[in-house]
Amino acid sequence: MTDKKKIELDILGQVCPACLLVVLREMNTHRLRLKNGEAQLVIKTDHRDTTRTIPESARKMGYDVEVRSLETCYEITIGSK
Amino acid sequence: MKSPSGASEKAGGRKKAAGKKAETEVSMEVWRLQEENAGFARYIREKTNQLLQVMGTEPLRPEEFEDRELLNLDPIGIIAGSLEQVFEYLNETITKLSEARDEMQAIFDATGVGISIIDQDFSIVKYNEKQRELLVDKQLDNVCGRYCYEVYCLKNGPGLDCPAVDTFATGRPVVVNEVRKKDKYFQLVTTPFSRNTNGEVTRVIEVALDITARKKAEEEEQRQRGYYLAEKSKLASVLQSLSEGLLVTDSRNRIISANGAALQILDLSQQQVLELKIDELFADCPAGARTIFDVGTPHACQNVEIRFRSATRELLLSVNSVPLVDPDGNPIGRVFTFRDITEEKHRQEVFHRTEKLAAVGQLSAGIAHELNTPLGSILGYARLLLKGSNLQPDQRERLGIIAEQAKKSGAIIRELLDFSRLSTPLPNQAMRCDLNKVVAEAIRVLQTELDKRFINVKLELSKIPEVEADPKRLEQVFVNMLLNSAQAIGSNGEISISSHCSGHEVRVSVSDSGPGISPENLSRIFDPFFTTKPVGTGTGLGLSICAGIIKDYGGAIDVRSTPEEGTSFTIILPLPGKAHGQ
Repeated sequence: MTDKKKIELDILGQVCPACLLVVLREMNTHRLRLKNGEAQLVIKTDHRDTTRTIPESARKMGYDVEVRSLETCYEITIGSK
Repeated sequence: MKSPSGASEKAGGRKKAAGKKAETEVSMEVWRLQEENAGFARYIREKTNQLLQVMGTEPLRPEEFEDRELLNLDPIGIIAGSLEQVFEYLNETITKLSEARDEMQAIFDATGVGISIIDQDFSIVKYNEKQRELLVDKQLDNVCGRYCYEVYCLKNGPGLDCPAVDTFATGRPVVVNEVRKKDKYFQLVTTPFSRNTNGEVTRVIEVALDITARKKAEEEEQRQRGYYLAEKSKLASVLQSLSEGLLVTDSRNRIISANGAALQILDLSQQQVLELKIDELFADCPAGARTIFDVGTPHACQNVEIRFRSATRELLLSVNSVPLVDPDGNPIGRVFTFRDITEEKHRQEVFHRTEKLAAVGQLSAGIAHELNTPLGSILGYARLLLKGSNLQPDQRERLGIIAEQAKKSGAIIRELLDFSRLSTPLPNQAMRCDLNKVVAEAIRVLQTELDKRFINVKLELSKIPEVEADPKRLEQVFVNMLLNSAQAIGSNGEISISSHCSGHEVRVSVSDSGPGISPENLSRIFDPFFTTKPVGTGTGLGLSICAGIIKDYGGAIDVRSTPEEGTSFTIILPLPGKAHGQ
């Protein structure tokens, strides 16, 4: 996932389910690029529930998801293998 | 008349009232529309929440998103797009699963092992064609739903030896290495296939591997192994029972096997022989015959005579060798067989010598007979002339020489006749003779001669049976032997005489401490007229005559000599009734 174009999405301060809708909208918008592996969506969030709801939804759509805990927030990366 | 202003006011009032009404109606319509919009917004919010729950998250809180903001976000559109992706992914997954299922089914059916899935009631849930072929009666159609113990084991219930029972009970795989069914052998493996929420095994998968071919191959191998071991044992017994020595060498010429006869003949132990190089063992092999040892020699080599010095004696061996090859025909060693021909060779030499003696004897007899008559006339007339009184002294002397030489010639002819035994035919008398007494008499005859030469005679005479022979003739033999020994020693020495009985023979050995006989002379000493004595001191007939006498009694004379150490003659005579040919 490292050499792909990164589409960054900052939803710091937002909570579920609003942030899930925002992320789903981005995933719909960039669907083709995410599916064929050209790009990956990198989300920054500080809402803990989001680290569960977003990966669950993304995986149901067939994406690979990686969640990393950073110092002040979480980073969720969504893309294809 | 109403004033225009009044009418105008009235009209204005009506207009105002109409305006208010319209305003009210508009307000009412706005309110209605607002209420309707709020209802739509609530509906959208509710449906959004419903879809969010489908997506696995919590509903929107009331404070989240103003209605307008929510509508602008288009949550239903977003979730619809997401669900589209979910369905797309689901369809892909379903397609892959379907393909995987088809692959699994193909593998399930095409695999070389029988597979069936059995539930907790021991009902067959699924089975493949191989399982049907191996374990299902051909008359049965579909056996799904039937009990496995009925179909596979022809029983009324699962047996204690059933591996599925164990797997259901323990949750672990079970292997049964050998099960015999329908005249075939199987290896059965049962493993858990699915479990319930309590972790209990609800289905097992049973794999049946047909090991009949392997089992039969094992049985055949076992049978062949038994056969080969029996053959090997038989061969080992045959090799050990051989009277001939047998040695097997490897590709490096090292001895890897030796039979009992080989060790006995060579007087060596197994440890001494194994790993020894064959050409080192038979180091005295003639140079021209050494290809017998070469592992690359493709043909058999036969009857190669090799001298071998064992710890106790020197042997003459007749050695054969054949190449040893692997199944591809490559040489991997040689097999050597050999026998001790020392005695056989010696007897052959004696036989040939005797034959030669007989031929020379016949010739000598003829010559002697023909010369005897004219020589008698020469001697008679010489003696007649010597009786005359008118002879000159020189004439008398010459006649004396003629008579003397004729007399000497007569003596030689008598020896020749003696040799040929024509002058004294062998008396066919069945006399019993004690060889020890004969030896004693011979010593007595020669005692003066032996004393004069300072020769000591050492006797080691055992009690031996009598032989059938003329003692006088045997005395002549021993006198000749002793005289030869004394002449070989010269003076100051020892003659040892021993006697013993060996099997059907009596042996008397006369050994001297003389200078020995050279190997080139040893084979000729029994030849007539062969002598190493100075000219005029021996006729070379003594040993020939002795050999002739001993042969007459069915015996033989053996001679062994080592230069500088001495010579040993052994007179061998058969016991009565045991002579060769009798």
